[in-house]
Amino acid sequence: MEPSFDFLIKDEKVFSGALSCRGCGWSLLVRHLASILGEETVYVLPASCFSIISGPYPLNDLKGTIVHTVFAAAPATATGVRAALDRRGREDVPVVVLAGDGSTFDIGLQSMSGAASRGENILYIVNNNGAYMNTGIQTSTATPYGAVTTTNPGAKGFKKTWPKDLMGIIAAHNLPYAATCSLAHLDDFRAKIEKALSIKGFRLLMIDGPCPPGHKTDPADSIQIARLAVETKLFPLMEIEHFDYKINYRPEKFVPVEECMKMQGRFKNVFKPGNEEVLKDIQAHTDNHWKRLEALAAMSEN
Amino acid sequence: MENQIKESKTSTVRGFPRHTKKIMKGNFAASEAAQLCRVDFVPAYPITPQTTIIESIADKVAKGDMDANYVNMDSEHSVFAAAMGAALGGSRVFTATAGQGLFYSHELLHAIAHFRLPVVACNVGRPSIPWNIWSDQTDSLAQRDTGWVHYYGESSQEVLDTIIQSYILAETLDLPVMVVLDAFYQSHTSENIWIPDADLVDEFLPSKKLKGNEIDPGKPKDFGGLVPPEHYGKFNTEYWDDVLKVEDLSEKIARRFESHFGRKYSNVEAVNINKNTKIVLVTISSITTTARGVIKKYPDVGLLKLRLFKPFPKKAVIEALKDLPEDAIIANVERNFLGDNEGAIMQEMQRALYGTNYKMHDFYAGVGGKDVPPETIEKIIFMARNNPDYVNWV
Amino acid sequence: MLEIRGHARGGQGMVTAFEVLAKIFSQLGDYEVQSFPAFGVERTGAPIQAFLRVARKEILNRSNVYHPHFIIVFDESLLDQVPVFDGLKEGGSLLLNTDRPIKAFKGQCDKVYTVPATKISLDLGLGSKSLPIVNAAMIGAVMRILDADVEIAKKVVAQNVPVKPEANVKSTQVAFESVVGLDNSNELLVEALNTTVEVAEEIPEFSLEENGHHDPKYKVPVWDEPMSKNKTGNWRLLTPSYTTKTPPCSHNCPAGTNVREFVKLAGEQQFDAALDVIFEHNPFPSICGRVCPHFCEQNCNRNSLDKGVNIGAIERFLGDKAKDRVVAEVPVTQKEKVAVIGSGPAGLTAALRLQKKGYATTVFEALPKAGGMMRTGIPKFRLPDEVLDREIADIEKTGVKIELNQRKKVADLEADFDAVITAVGSHIGSSMYLNNEEDLVTEGISFLREFKLFGDRKGIQKGEEVAVIGGGNTAIDVSRTLLRLGAHPTIFYRRTSEQMPAIAHEVEEAYQENVQFEFLKAPISIHKTSEGRIELGLINMELGEKDASGRRKPVKMEGSEHVVIVDRVVAAIGQKFDDFVFNGVEVDPRQGKTDLPSRVPVFCAGDMAWGGTVTEAIGSGNKVAEEVDAFFKKEPYTHEEVLPEVVLPDDINFAYYLPSARHDNKVYYPKDFYENFTEVVAPLKAEQITNEASRCLSCGDCFNCYNCFNYCPDAAVHVDDHGRMRIDYDYCKGCGICVTECPCSSMNFSLS
Repeated sequence: MEPSFDFLIKDEKVFSGALSCRGCGWSLLVRHLASILGEETVYVLPASCFSIISGPYPLNDLKGTIVHTVFAAAPATATGVRAALDRRGREDVPVVVLAGDGSTFDIGLQSMSGAASRGENILYIVNNNGAYMNTGIQTSTATPYGAVTTTNPGAKGFKKTWPKDLMGIIAAHNLPYAATCSLAHLDDFRAKIEKALSIKGFRLLMIDGPCPPGHKTDPADSIQIARLAVETKLFPLMEIEHFDYKINYRPEKFVPVEECMKMQGRFKNVFKPGNEEVLKDIQAHTDNHWKRLEALAAMSEN
Repeated sequence: MENQIKESKTSTVRGFPRHTKKIMKGNFAASEAAQLCRVDFVPAYPITPQTTIIESIADKVAKGDMDANYVNMDSEHSVFAAAMGAALGGSRVFTATAGQGLFYSHELLHAIAHFRLPVVACNVGRPSIPWNIWSDQTDSLAQRDTGWVHYYGESSQEVLDTIIQSYILAETLDLPVMVVLDAFYQSHTSENIWIPDADLVDEFLPSKKLKGNEIDPGKPKDFGGLVPPEHYGKFNTEYWDDVLKVEDLSEKIARRFESHFGRKYSNVEAVNINKNTKIVLVTISSITTTARGVIKKYPDVGLLKLRLFKPFPKKAVIEALKDLPEDAIIANVERNFLGDNEGAIMQEMQRALYGTNYKMHDFYAGVGGKDVPPETIEKIIFMARNNPDYVNWV
Repeated sequence: MLEIRGHARGGQGMVTAFEVLAKIFSQLGDYEVQSFPAFGVERTGAPIQAFLRVARKEILNRSNVYHPHFIIVFDESLLDQVPVFDGLKEGGSLLLNTDRPIKAFKGQCDKVYTVPATKISLDLGLGSKSLPIVNAAMIGAVMRILDADVEIAKKVVAQNVPVKPEANVKSTQVAFESVVGLDNSNELLVEALNTTVEVAEEIPEFSLEENGHHDPKYKVPVWDEPMSKNKTGNWRLLTPSYTTKTPPCSHNCPAGTNVREFVKLAGEQQFDAALDVIFEHNPFPSICGRVCPHFCEQNCNRNSLDKGVNIGAIERFLGDKAKDRVVAEVPVTQKEKVAVIGSGPAGLTAALRLQKKGYATTVFEALPKAGGMMRTGIPKFRLPDEVLDREIADIEKTGVKIELNQRKKVADLEADFDAVITAVGSHIGSSMYLNNEEDLVTEGISFLREFKLFGDRKGIQKGEEVAVIGGGNTAIDVSRTLLRLGAHPTIFYRRTSEQMPAIAHEVEEAYQENVQFEFLKAPISIHKTSEGRIELGLINMELGEKDASGRRKPVKMEGSEHVVIVDRVVAAIGQKFDDFVFNGVEVDPRQGKTDLPSRVPVFCAGDMAWGGTVTEAIGSGNKVAEEVDAFFKKEPYTHEEVLPEVVLPDDINFAYYLPSARHDNKVYYPKDFYENFTEVVAPLKAEQITNEASRCLSCGDCFNCYNCFNYCPDAAVHVDDHGRMRIDYDYCKGCGICVTECPCSSMNFSLS
């Protein structure tokens, strides 16, 4: 019997040979994204791992147009690209920002907020791997509480502040569509890309990005850990349409945050004796965040 | 705009056919130029003393006088990032900024230049902290090494005319151009401006053509990714080749402009420089006009106006000084402070005149918007004649 | 000045190693040192370079090392992937991390040294299998080759490694002692290291080649060549590959049935094909579907998710479908004739297999009906006669002759046959070794046999209280038969319910049918009471240490002796075989050829030789038939089997399987059991069978979920020209996500 090959990706829009580390989230998420967007797409890249992954001279990893731009202003460059394409009658060509958490949460937050507030017709993809990985694992404001980075170093050190609630910030912009996505939930991820594409205006998808060197994980576990991040509610899957929240996936059973954290070497110091309260705090913070989401989702239903 | 009085198309004093004479501030001349150049995209952010440029463009777009996409950005950094994106997309782009805004956009100035994008921007000069909003060229001169072509306009008419010429230069050589005007002495000064008719400009400056280096959704490409060491310099080499062409092309465009519009511009202008000249004042922007008036009193004092500043018009400067006696004094009038031994003008003049025996002196005048009346020019002439220091604060 | 260039993979620790070497040399003497990596954007696993210069004088060169004296390769596979020998000085040396013999590398450069640094590091727990950290070991080897002081090196290593200083120092020492190739002259290296002669460095010819000037392609930084020009396959250390592994169901089927395959086909409604798969190993699917304990189900990995697949029901369904099949006679093609003593599952299976191989085979059965224990030991309400009759008849249709009422021993047959297979089963009940047992106790297995064959009720009256001793299937079957004869059976078992060897669902059914159970009680005496009833003496037991079977051994609780009064006691505590078959000679009844002195070879199979279930007997029959065939063909035969890689629950990625309810067989519990021998367990319907089969996890066998494709970050999974899934090793970096995300463990991940 001839196999039917019912692949999620029917038409590959990336090339093999990308410069991503083993088990990188960037490559996988872009593979799926590009397969849906098609070749007639302009990707605007601020500095991030993906600036390197996507290909040094004279190569291009994507069957699509890539515009590299400065770290702090990808949404602005995308604004210009969008305007130019519209001017040429190419409103049909998606303009997509591919940014990391450093660019989105920190240095480019203003530019992102500006484009969001203007309602630019841009799809903004943020691969949140929770640190400046391209420069060698430095703390960003997306870095989780408890993670060791080269700027929160030491045998006992770890980041002792909570990561910024980007989705809360995004929601405050009253956008047509924003959502979180996990590579362990490819169908959900792909559906969200499709949905984002069907909407005009500033749309944002935040993906929980596996990073084996940065998270100190086994590359083979990239998806497993992403799945556990959802199951432990460390990374809830949700959609925000204007001020309405929707939780897309409610884990069937309680899985403590340790289950996800213990697979990641970056949290090793949290598991050292004397930090039991830290773990409890992280669990409590996670639970409270979820409770808040549930409340927002409940409000949105009314 | 209400204070602009539309005058007769045929002036009795000095007239240009197919022009309209208006009394207009420099900033409005700049925005008028943007309209005439039929720019597609104007990203904008307010900053004194530039703000009225973008305000008036916003107004023109709102009224439908100008068919452009005007966008209120979140910063000058974003303004130039958006300018870059639109230019990559094939749009004709214009914007304006000043002082801090230009400093803030510095990162993008490099990027736009090295992407080889024909963006034209106006800068209304002012310095940095401590706060000062008045006329000063430190901001633009600090961007000398970003790879942009720099023009300094003496008058608001010249600013308007230079912007039109800039697009031809920019789009021919794939280089960005910055047109600088002085804060208040130009930006907020109302004077006679001859505005060419739109079709006259259209005949001179055709609409922007795509060259194939722009974004083409049908032909995926990578713009500006990582270039390894073995290739990086090759892009610089090609850039340098085009930089070498700027001086001649700029002059050629000015000649074409003169025959088309009737107003003459050059990369540099020599006034009263001959074998009897003892002192040459080197000036940029509005100080030039005042100096023109003052030297009428001094037959042995000449004036060298620099209009094109970057790349420095070395050939034109040497040509302008060809009759100047070897013992003449070159007095550079600086309205900038770059934290170096010399001001920007003297640095460039020394570079251009390397190997000659001219005595070169620097005169800081008008820094931070300090007014430069004729007596200041006279003072400079006096100091130049009387054993000046290498650098003099006037 | 000594110039060294290193080649490694990102993450192996080479850059650190070179920095540590620089520190070592600065301590070894008055050396100027310079160590630096070729700074790049390469990721973990990608080939990288590092440089080291050591000199007795000022080093007047800050560029990369293009003409090294000494090349150090941290990863053997780089030799094929990177031009490591580029620019090596004449007479220069190579140090290679390998455990292969040095002669494999001779000829690539003048002087080759090797050190098994990976092995040394892994032995000492440095790094992981996929990325061993070999830097400290390589340092030890360098020390040895340069005749340098390893003690200083060890001191510097200890100060400079982030973790495990002892293990790292040890690896330096072990590597120091493990360098191969010391017969090479190190004169060039040592001379370069120590020379103080002031001569201008040798500068190679420079090239006047133009540096891309006036090449318009460099006008604008825009390009469009495909990334696939960059091959990332050489980053890979561990390699994923597609494979098929053995599932626990098939592995645990004593008959050797390819369970996963027939369940899969059943799920696809290919019932005929599924049945063919079963018949390859098992001629009795209708029977086994009813009576087998289903080791397949017991070991089903789905038990770790919800409940194992109801394989028994599927097997029964498929077996029952065979009743419409026409069975053809198999022609005899071989000259040898085979006799089989015993028509139980082992004997019949062996006979069928040999008949199918072309041997004329005759089965001798002592009883008036064929089937062995299937006939005599399993009551009709579990296995209806017509099912048994049909599957035996199908065997006969192939040409196997069954001679009934023929109680034979080997000596009776050796004259007429070329081989004899003894498969007489275990039909003699074991003794409890209690006084009065012979008079007062009914033996369970013979009770079942005689009741079933001859209707002999042993005088059991309606309403009798019967004590049944034992916890196996015989005890359960006896009790349920007694129930149907109107008696009230109580099972006394010396262990707990969990430890009963009887099939769990049979116990459950017995319990539902109102058989009484008394656990942790053992018989100690039997007496007849004055009323003619029986006084059974019992003692309470408790569980003690584990015994050889891994179960906790029951221990008598002294002082807990007590009695129960019953009408009858039936013992069902085990069976043994009847050694009549071996002519009275004592023979160890092991599977296969026996050493019984005889004219023809005598083989042994079935319950007497192997295990006590129908399926084990079938497996035994399959095996013995192969052995007999091999014997005739004078081919070697061995029992030894390579242990297959069996998929265990830990290998399954349960995230990809949703819980789904098992389709259980309905059990028929009549209001009145008296004289009711109707089959109690109902079959599943075709639709239920398909649904139940689709619960199979497909352990070890790709079911085209395409996770490998969908999750590959490197787009390195393709469909090849033959329509098969293939990994493109030109690009696969070996992250292993496909292996982890493979739901059913049909991928391998191993060192290339």
